[in-house]
Amino acid sequence: MKVLVVEDDLKIADYLDKGLTEQGCSVDLADDGHDGLHLAMEVDYDVIVLDQMLPGLDGLALLKSLRAVKDTPVIMLTARDRIEDRVKGLRAGADDYLVKPFSFLELLARLQALTRRDRRGRKQEATELQVGDLVIDLLARKAFRDGSRIDLTAKEFALLTVLARHQGQILSKTVIAEMVWDVNFDTSANVVEVAIKRLRAKIDSPFKTGLLHTVRGMGYVLEERPGP
Amino acid sequence: MNAFHSIAGRLAALFALAALLVLSLLGVTLDRELASVLERQQIEQLNTRFQDIDYVLKRLREPEQWARIHAKLDAVTPPDHNTQYWILSDDAQIRYGNALAEIVGISQGTSSIGELRVGGRTEPLLMRSAYFPADERHASFRFIVGVDSEPYARSRRAFRSVMVASVSGGVLLVALIGYLITQWGLGPLQRLSREAHTLSPSLLSQRLLTAQLPTELSDLAESFNGALDRLEVAYQQLESFNADVTHELRTPLTHLIGNTQVALSRERSVPQLVEVLQSNLEDLEGLRGIVNDMLFLARASLGERPHELLRCSLAAEVEKAIDFLDFLLEEAGVHVQVQGDAQAPIESSLFRRAVTNLLDNAIHHSPPGAEIVVELSAGDGQARVSVANPGPVIPAEHLGRLFDRFYKVDAARTKNGESHGLGLAIVKAVAAMHSGDVFAASCDGVTTVGFSVLNDAKDSA
Repeated sequence: MKVLVVEDDLKIADYLDKGLTEQGCSVDLADDGHDGLHLAMEVDYDVIVLDQMLPGLDGLALLKSLRAVKDTPVIMLTARDRIEDRVKGLRAGADDYLVKPFSFLELLARLQALTRRDRRGRKQEATELQVGDLVIDLLARKAFRDGSRIDLTAKEFALLTVLARHQGQILSKTVIAEMVWDVNFDTSANVVEVAIKRLRAKIDSPFKTGLLHTVRGMGYVLEERPGP
Repeated sequence: MNAFHSIAGRLAALFALAALLVLSLLGVTLDRELASVLERQQIEQLNTRFQDIDYVLKRLREPEQWARIHAKLDAVTPPDHNTQYWILSDDAQIRYGNALAEIVGISQGTSSIGELRVGGRTEPLLMRSAYFPADERHASFRFIVGVDSEPYARSRRAFRSVMVASVSGGVLLVALIGYLITQWGLGPLQRLSREAHTLSPSLLSQRLLTAQLPTELSDLAESFNGALDRLEVAYQQLESFNADVTHELRTPLTHLIGNTQVALSRERSVPQLVEVLQSNLEDLEGLRGIVNDMLFLARASLGERPHELLRCSLAAEVEKAIDFLDFLLEEAGVHVQVQGDAQAPIESSLFRRAVTNLLDNAIHHSPPGAEIVVELSAGDGQARVSVANPGPVIPAEHLGRLFDRFYKVDAARTKNGESHGLGLAIVKAVAAMHSGDVFAASCDGVTTVGFSVLNDAKDSA
């Protein structure tokens, strides 16, 4: 995936470069609006990460000039979280919006959602997901491990599906809450923690190896790890 | 112009205006009265003169007497000629008086009172005339007496100039006295203003002294002191809020710095470093949560309003929040019952955020097996959401402050969970964003906390 990052804060640009490269993206950096616009016009990127406050050419102006020519997906970053800013950004043609301080995992989830939205038409949607010996039948809405049926509630099944679709990828609590419950606001309620605990009791506890792992401070990941 | 900005100057001017009005009315009335008195006197004088001679004329027997009459008329005419007599007749023997030519033909009729203008005089003469028809003793003639009105007019002019002078003097005097009285009367106000000047923001407990003030001002000073009281409370709340923020941020920051320094001061294995980074990340996520919530509250208190309000069923939104909290409810062994419904224009995610916080709060304070009751109602242009849970009674002094940021009823009790004490403050902010308010009650072992949203749109009714 080819990504352009237009961001004037060097620390942020640096870690985005590192993080996205490690996720298998090829990353170009621009530290002001004019360079950013030039690159965005010349090269075909899969997605552009655009800071709203930029020296030279401001993010909104860059987006307007770009939209006159191309419709590369754009995710805006801003330090200001006023609704009107968000509306301005979306009206100028941004596909998504993140407010600083944002978490890298959230950015990653949104980048994937943007590019997947793009590809969905081409790729056939899977009807079955598999993680190790765990099999999820999406049509029948049933899960099996090691051949035996696991009894899950509707919400537990939805949570498992989200984790399995992103197997091997760490999902933060915020991202999970948004994907499973459509909750797009911060809350101190530790629903995700409790839900993970219950899901783990059903899909991991009765078996020898665990598939659902906690990454402290980051979130949760569903993957098959080599046994000890 | 500047004088009218001072109360004393303005009042002095108003006093002067009032004095001018009253004294002028008085002057005009007196002038009228004087004029009518003078006119009566003048007519009386005229009549007396007329009757004296009329009497003689009526008893006229012999034509030879005309010489005696002329002599008498000469005698009664004063030297300054302010009374004059004329006898008009075709008979030259009877005729009497100066400047007869001017007067001839003016008076008709038998007897009349009128004015007569005579050359050389500014004021007209007041005259009375009588016609005597011809008989066997004499030819017809007309007798005229004229009284000069000049002395009366002079008295009136003199009166008027004295009047104008005394009215102007009086007005000036009233203005001056009014100014001095106002200055003196406003003394306490100036003292109060000097006292208010000495109030300093560093001494919040300072108040105005109301004891020696007149009643009108002590009311003002007392309400001013009341405002200072409220300001002091708000200021103290702000200070304690700042202290709370600092405290909430300082703890994780101390941890982050110390933890990192300790980790870097020795060679560490990779797992040890990972452990440090993970611990740091937890603190950082906590900080991010606080900063985001504080930003949200700040925007709400700056008057930000929801971008898009959609009228929908509040019960449906509450059900969504319950669906989200389902695992927590089961874990806590608590059941939720929703009663009633209301339609109101809301922004769904803000509303659900508030309801989620209220329910989360209720779950935390309910004993296992309890039932939480969510009641939805509409009325008075408001839609209300109240969440009631059984639990220990919250003392009244805490109830009003439940919605304050970082406020904790019992500082020791909120050890559990990641709650940083902004949940109910966010509920209040969401209510304010929907032009509503929050409320709390606690009695008979049931705590009810809730909020309202504006519900005035009738378009979809």
